[in-house]
Amino acid sequence: MAHWLPLAVLVPLVAGALTPAVARGRPALARGWALSAALFSTLATAMLTRRVAREGPFSYAMGGWAPPWGIELRFDEFSAAALFISFIVVLVLVFSGPYVLRAVPRPRIPWYYSLLLINLGAMIGFVVTGDLFNLFVFMELVAVSSYALVAVGGGRTAALAAFKYLVAGAVSSTLILFCIGVLYAMTGSLNMADVALRLAEVEARAPVVLALVGLVVGFLVKAGLFPLHVWLPDAHAIAPTPINALSSALVVKLGIIGLLRVFPLFGAAGAVSLAPLYDALAWLGAISILAGAFFALFQQDVKLMLAYSTISNIGYIVLGLGLAGELAVTGAGIHVLNHALIKATLFLAAGAMLHQSGYRTLSDLRGVGHAMPWTSFSLLLGVLAIAGLPPTAGFLGKWYIALGAIQSGRPGFAVVVLLGALLVFMYLGRMLNAFYFRAPTHERMLAVREAPASMLGPVLLLAVLCVLGGLQGRWPVRLIEPAVVRLLGGG
Amino acid sequence: MEGSAIEVVDLRIVLAPALSLACALLIFAFGRRDLWRAVFALSASVLKLAIVLSMLPGSLAGTVYVYELVDFPPGIGIVFRADGLGMFFALVSSTLWVVTTVYAIGYLQGAHERVRFFGFFALCVSTTVGLAFAENLLTLFLFYELLTICTYPLVIHDETPEAMKAGRKYLAYTLSGGVAVLLGVVLVQDLAGTLTLAEPGILSLEAGRPMLLLAFVVLVAGFGVKAAIMPLHGWLPTAMVAPVPVSALLHAVAVVKAGVFGLLRVIYNIFGVELLGVLGYTHWLAVFAGFTIIAASVMALAQTHLKLRLAYSTVSQLSYIVLAASLLTPLAALAAIAHIANQAFAKITMFFVAGAVQRTTGRTQIHELAGLGRVMPWTMGAFTIAALSFIAVPLFAGFVTKWFLCLGALQAGEWWWVLLMVASSLLNAAYWLPILYLAWFREPRGLPRGVREARALLLAPTLVSAAYVLLLGMTARVPGMPFSLAQAAVRFVTGI
Repeated sequence: MAHWLPLAVLVPLVAGALTPAVARGRPALARGWALSAALFSTLATAMLTRRVAREGPFSYAMGGWAPPWGIELRFDEFSAAALFISFIVVLVLVFSGPYVLRAVPRPRIPWYYSLLLINLGAMIGFVVTGDLFNLFVFMELVAVSSYALVAVGGGRTAALAAFKYLVAGAVSSTLILFCIGVLYAMTGSLNMADVALRLAEVEARAPVVLALVGLVVGFLVKAGLFPLHVWLPDAHAIAPTPINALSSALVVKLGIIGLLRVFPLFGAAGAVSLAPLYDALAWLGAISILAGAFFALFQQDVKLMLAYSTISNIGYIVLGLGLAGELAVTGAGIHVLNHALIKATLFLAAGAMLHQSGYRTLSDLRGVGHAMPWTSFSLLLGVLAIAGLPPTAGFLGKWYIALGAIQSGRPGFAVVVLLGALLVFMYLGRMLNAFYFRAPTHERMLAVREAPASMLGPVLLLAVLCVLGGLQGRWPVRLIEPAVVRLLGGG
Repeated sequence: MEGSAIEVVDLRIVLAPALSLACALLIFAFGRRDLWRAVFALSASVLKLAIVLSMLPGSLAGTVYVYELVDFPPGIGIVFRADGLGMFFALVSSTLWVVTTVYAIGYLQGAHERVRFFGFFALCVSTTVGLAFAENLLTLFLFYELLTICTYPLVIHDETPEAMKAGRKYLAYTLSGGVAVLLGVVLVQDLAGTLTLAEPGILSLEAGRPMLLLAFVVLVAGFGVKAAIMPLHGWLPTAMVAPVPVSALLHAVAVVKAGVFGLLRVIYNIFGVELLGVLGYTHWLAVFAGFTIIAASVMALAQTHLKLRLAYSTVSQLSYIVLAASLLTPLAALAAIAHIANQAFAKITMFFVAGAVQRTTGRTQIHELAGLGRVMPWTMGAFTIAALSFIAVPLFAGFVTKWFLCLGALQAGEWWWVLLMVASSLLNAAYWLPILYLAWFREPRGLPRGVREARALLLAPTLVSAAYVLLLGMTARVPGMPFSLAQAAVRFVTGI
């Protein structure tokens, strides 16, 4: 079917908008409705991914209007992230069933599902759009629905965290919009392929550099890279845990995908040299790896620890991009996908613990390994994966990035990659001790039961994928290979 | 198997580690009953020994078994390959698994968390055999790291504050070592374009001396942590708080040998004897090893706690292997490989004795061993055999090592190592003979009436491993013994 591409975006958006109406009077219906829409997106993006693997990138002209005048949707190898996005959202929806009953006020539950679907549709839209302005629109849709989702649980701190998130988000969005405006003013086009062509002919260099730097900074804020991360931990500590899984695993990655989208615009131009930018990214990434892992080490709250670990992992991806070699960028691309799987595992498992026991710090959670063996095991598997132990999914990205660092003659960055893993291992040790080897702090822990099937199922499935994603890692590596070559080839 | 061994794809080399893994899972799932747990652990260990033994004739005839499990990461893969050196290590570890399992069943009766203990025990052996059969450096690293994680619950088994502290120290040392190894793996992959352990050396001078030096230093330091080369040995004496079967496993079979085995692979299969002969890095490694042999022996002398003396003796003995390997001559290589078994059986005997004495009489200090030879003659007899082996009395296993090590040193034209061997033998005599004297020639003091020989479940494994020490010492030249495997491995790595 030729229309899978627009449908993958539109179905969740429209279904999301209709959710409150559908669920009116029948709140139980909201989850099933949302699930069917998300399942549809998964199916559609799976078809699209199959096609891109066979035929290479393809475009869809909305309404039959050819680009650069019409709106172009473009599905390339990086867009295969849409499959991961829809799949993880499906699991988050399954998981949310029992979770929101306790964490979200009942009248707001349809809104919760509605916002989740809009978030999903906008994320898919963001990764498949071929048009700068729509890139911005989808980004804003993702951002606005995320602010609301952070606050949906209610409470005074929730509003504050959401507001902090909103301020950081709004500043970066404004910056990105401004830069898109600059590009439009210079080239008269918003279609990305077209902008790339026209930028090559632009004489004035200053505005081009300005636009490039602005876009990069804007997207790095969205990605939560240290030191632009300040909004991230608070938003994560407050939001309902399934939303953490969503924002940590997926939403921050949009910043990275945004970078992947704007680099080719400037790479083809030749007017600006990207080398200093790549260097800066490599250093920022390295700092973020160590800073994130270091802060994570001091967190008692499991959710906060996971949030800081996201900052560290975004650092890996940015370092990989900054090294700008084929191996390193492959590593970055793989890590975008695999980190999504791993972080979703971690947050959903932590959410299951919070839901079942009511505790969220390591000292409160002592003994949970005996009370909730499967969830704890999944969480530990996730931590092993995030530490990058072979043969888990987390190893693959780090392996390629470290190899890329050495190949480009900068073994120092390889050392940073490995040191980051060591810090995570230290946290792993604390977690192991708390879950299994220390006597419970609270008597209640003895009565805590394993999570219900609809929470445990997604967690276990993701945990299995954390391992399979590594063992079968050659598939995504092969898939994104042409895209990496194109990116480094200059567009 | 002169360089062109016959390679046969064989599922058995995956089956061997998989069997221990399955055993661990069965124990975790259904191991609450003592009987079932014992059945699982024993049958898996015996079956695995049978599998490894069934590959032995082929391996001795020069066949190399290979099996690719999965292509991860792309182009490198988790691949298994059983060559002479790998078979040797696998044979030692699976033999000792049977013995230690019997002992652990006896030792841990009535202890807490036995399901966890036996489960992780089986996991450790599974990873050890995986490590022995690793075809490339990455597969080796994978099992090296898994081994670290699987041994942690064993080290802290008692869950006392002291045990938790030892566990932290253990993790800090070994995980840092693991990171260093991984850096080395990445470097080798970049320099050589391959990680295979199937060649006598994959690096070449073209890689440039600075990078080669970096790779050598990080790999040796990384594996050196578990091999307890001074000054990286700090975790080992601390980890002595673990129960005796764990100490036996750590110090004879799994952890320390994994480090040594990794070092042998780095020297013989990654750098290769020829390249290292040109580069000369191993002279420095030999100096470190020689220092460790003497210094650890001196520290062992100062210990009054039996298990701690055993620990420092382990540190010293491991460096024999490192020293032998860094001499780069064929005869020294023979000593290095053979000592994996010789040290393992002798040291495990000693740990078994220490545990049996502790369980039977409650004594742990060396001066408390007075007269025990009269009360527990079989147990102390086994200890005597092991001690004589360490002193390198002819006909005992330790002598074989020292003999070939000295010959290897002379082959390399470095006679001073022979003096070091003599000094080390004297030091060994200085710290083992007093124990023998105490045990056999003093009157027992303060023992409650009725204390007799250790229970059969503790005594039988002790005697079996002591018998092995004699066997390894006396039958080194008999074809079909493990020693001939070591010879086959040496022929391959030195290209003779």
